[in-house]
Amino acid sequence: MFNTKKKPEKKPLKIIIVGCGKVGRTLVDKLNQEGNDITVIDQIPERVEEITNLYDVMGIVGNGASFSIQTEAEIENADLFIAVTDSDELNLLCCTVAKHANCSTIARVRKPDYINEAGYLKEQLGLQMIINPDLESATEIAKLFYIPSALEINSFAHGQAELIKIVVEKNGLLDGKTLSEVFTNCKNDDEKILVVTVERDGNVIIPNGDFQINADDKVTFVLPKRHRRAFLNRLNIQSVQLKSCMIIGGGITSFYLANQLIHMGLEVKIIESKPDRCRLLSELLPNAIVINGDGTDEILLREEGIDITDGFVALTGIDEQNIFLTMHAKKVSNAKVVTKITRENFKDLIDSMDLGSVIHPRTITSEAIIAYARAKRASLDYNNIETLYHMYDSRVEAIEFKVDSQSLATEKPLKELKLKDGINVAFINRNGRIIIPNGDDKIIVGDSVMIVTTNTGFTTLDDILN
Amino acid sequence: MNINIIRYILGLVLKIEAGLLLLPAIVGMFYREDTFSAYLIVATLTFIVGSIVSMAKPKNTVFHLKEGCIATALSWILLSLVGAIPFVITKEIPSFVDAFFETVSGFTTTGASILSDVESISHASLFWRSFTHWVGGMGVLVFLLAIMPLSGGSNINLMKAESPGPSVGKLVPKVRSSATILYQIYFGMTLIQFVLLLIFKMPVFDAMCLTFGTAGTGGFGVRNDSIASYSVYQQWIIGIFMMLFGINFNFYYFFLRKKMRKAFAIEEVRWYLLFIIGATLGIFLQLGGMVSGFEHKLRVAFFQVVSMITTTGYSTADFNVWLPNAQLILLLLMFSGACAGSTGGGFKVSRIVILLKAFVREIKSYIHPKSVGQIRMDKSPLPEGVVKSTMVYLATYILIFIVSHFLITLDGKDFLTSFSAVTATFNNIGPGLSEVGPMSNYASLSAFSKLVLSFDMLAGRLELFPMLLLITPAMWKNTHKQSKHDLVSLF
Repeated sequence: MFNTKKKPEKKPLKIIIVGCGKVGRTLVDKLNQEGNDITVIDQIPERVEEITNLYDVMGIVGNGASFSIQTEAEIENADLFIAVTDSDELNLLCCTVAKHANCSTIARVRKPDYINEAGYLKEQLGLQMIINPDLESATEIAKLFYIPSALEINSFAHGQAELIKIVVEKNGLLDGKTLSEVFTNCKNDDEKILVVTVERDGNVIIPNGDFQINADDKVTFVLPKRHRRAFLNRLNIQSVQLKSCMIIGGGITSFYLANQLIHMGLEVKIIESKPDRCRLLSELLPNAIVINGDGTDEILLREEGIDITDGFVALTGIDEQNIFLTMHAKKVSNAKVVTKITRENFKDLIDSMDLGSVIHPRTITSEAIIAYARAKRASLDYNNIETLYHMYDSRVEAIEFKVDSQSLATEKPLKELKLKDGINVAFINRNGRIIIPNGDDKIIVGDSVMIVTTNTGFTTLDDILN
Repeated sequence: MNINIIRYILGLVLKIEAGLLLLPAIVGMFYREDTFSAYLIVATLTFIVGSIVSMAKPKNTVFHLKEGCIATALSWILLSLVGAIPFVITKEIPSFVDAFFETVSGFTTTGASILSDVESISHASLFWRSFTHWVGGMGVLVFLLAIMPLSGGSNINLMKAESPGPSVGKLVPKVRSSATILYQIYFGMTLIQFVLLLIFKMPVFDAMCLTFGTAGTGGFGVRNDSIASYSVYQQWIIGIFMMLFGINFNFYYFFLRKKMRKAFAIEEVRWYLLFIIGATLGIFLQLGGMVSGFEHKLRVAFFQVVSMITTTGYSTADFNVWLPNAQLILLLLMFSGACAGSTGGGFKVSRIVILLKAFVREIKSYIHPKSVGQIRMDKSPLPEGVVKSTMVYLATYILIFIVSHFLITLDGKDFLTSFSAVTATFNNIGPGLSEVGPMSNYASLSAFSKLVLSFDMLAGRLELFPMLLLITPAMWKNTHKQSKHDLVSLF
């Protein structure tokens, strides 16, 4: 009598999250959506109350590092313990105390002081994962500077395969082509590429061969890493590395980014308004140019050569300022620009603005943790899911299946399989070699297969079939 | 306001009630009574209406506290309206207002009745009357949450609006699992009592109805003299189970999880037991020559004390003839009520404890004006917001009480009758004193008074605010525009 549709319910993970700050809340939001049993711990009652009012989770007020509070949260039954308070030391202590129970622990550690000790800490304290949002954001930005024309680059299969998102230029090579034309243009097998998703006017499309690409579409390709440069050259896309970069704001992310860019051989200029911070940065980064001044001062920016810089990154603590800086930079120069957006409010509006690449540190942190939780949960129930990523705000899932037994989808050419709509077989990983499949390729036992799909909730490879 | 989700929930509630109405129909068929057809017809119609109303699932399933409160208040009114229809059809309670009063009294686990001769009522109707207690005890929406996968985290707002107590906690992270656990405990304890009563040779039908009445801390009986004519053991069983159903259900959860220390550390439960022991002793000493024999005295005192504090309202003696002080003890117990998170009504022991502690702190602050004091409950500091809302609750409680009392006196009854009538309905107890005492009923009141008391019963069961929100004009501002928009989007 009740219209309850029975879904094959996955066993929920029991997760404890310490710290209800921005990252904590994003984690609760995402992990709760996936049906996990979540308990949050925070010292501030109001924060706990706010979260328990919004989400179906249990809240405990107290110090997450205290043994009795952890017991109250029933840590002995928990699968995953995540510490994301403001303080690195508290996070580490929480996880150390949590070791008495047999659950996986993840700590957020972001001070540069610990950057080199991450491995040591992880091993000594028995942590499953150390998350450094600033470092991850910096790495993400640095990757973009490596291929300036890409909007986003994601690595899969231990870095062997990459998903690259670019914008189609007007009258460029791709404008007006159908996908099969793009595909048949490739001379040999090694140069094959596949368009997995197309974003047009805010909609995500999983295209088939007849799909026509237009200018301004955001197209995501999958390709083996080793062909990246050749592929970009063929598309006449700029793949020359940048020479100089200007960073506004001298926070922790800026430090990590500058460090990486200097290693890549770029000339880095940091503009920071606090003298103390400048001194510290110049101490830590002898090869960077540190300017003490107001980064929002137009005259200063011109003086420091905003019009001739190759890259421009707005990393101040205020989102609005970052947006203005980027828009200004876009106007006065041809630089590759990156904007940091911390808060998730007005996401639609920000997406509709032309801000070049946008980095959401919070999403980066939570995505990494959520990917871990998903894989853990998946491995509890379905041991053939290797990784599971969400793209485009969870509208698209990228699932890597391990094929360890015969199924309806194996040993047949892909064109003979009756696939559901909205599915793309992005690549086949055969003993570490990435194959970008066409209709004649087959999936065989022992492969790993990456499926990109708008249908969520697949649990086995057979689910892709109609 | 999200009218659509409220409509959807109301539809589901109707469907649940249709299912519930089938049970008295079955009972009626079993006893070969004509009344069963009334229940069957109402059940069928309710199901059809419920299906139509809940046909279109709303796209936006998010609801905030106000939607939770409104949905709860409307659900309970709707349940009572529909539940009253069979009484009218069978002509056992010909007036609809009376039938409504009786059903509200059932669902809110009050047990106040307008029937003077219960024994003349058909089995099906008696069963339905008692069964509404059982349903209302734990709450209909908690049941809804237990069986329905309502998406969205905000469904805690439904539970908040329906569950008694100053702060609503969950046992486990998911609302749905919490609701399921609560119903499992509830169901298990009901079953145990039922079986025990059968072992001590109570007729099956009586055992069933009285168990429902005890579990929901309701108080409808199946005999005119309530419990007085049952055997000694049967009275003890009912008495002890009344006490058990008045305990915070968290206690049983910890108990089942073998966390004894945590279970007995719940301060409210200790105070509750203390109240019971003290009041029993007080009345025991004052019974004097009215009752003879140690066991009999103890039984009468204990039974009446737990019956009042859990707001059940069963009686084994006519306390109208007791000494004034003993009567006052009972009246005070009516106000105290049972534990938060139990099936009992009233002001709740935990609120009294909080108020007492706030009182002590206030006194202390006169001695040390700059002292900083934290009120503690279960050994951990209580958020200041809870203390504040408890005080506001008290003020609201008194306000509603005064207004209701004012309206009831228009009926022309004496002070004790009208005062205890409001007390007994507002706190969901049932029998009051004087003209509405244990050996008489509410039939003599006017229709207007009955409606006022029905409101009081609902307000008391739903912790005041959902019912108050319902009659707050600001709540409904602009909703007609919204609902028009929602309706248009439906088709």
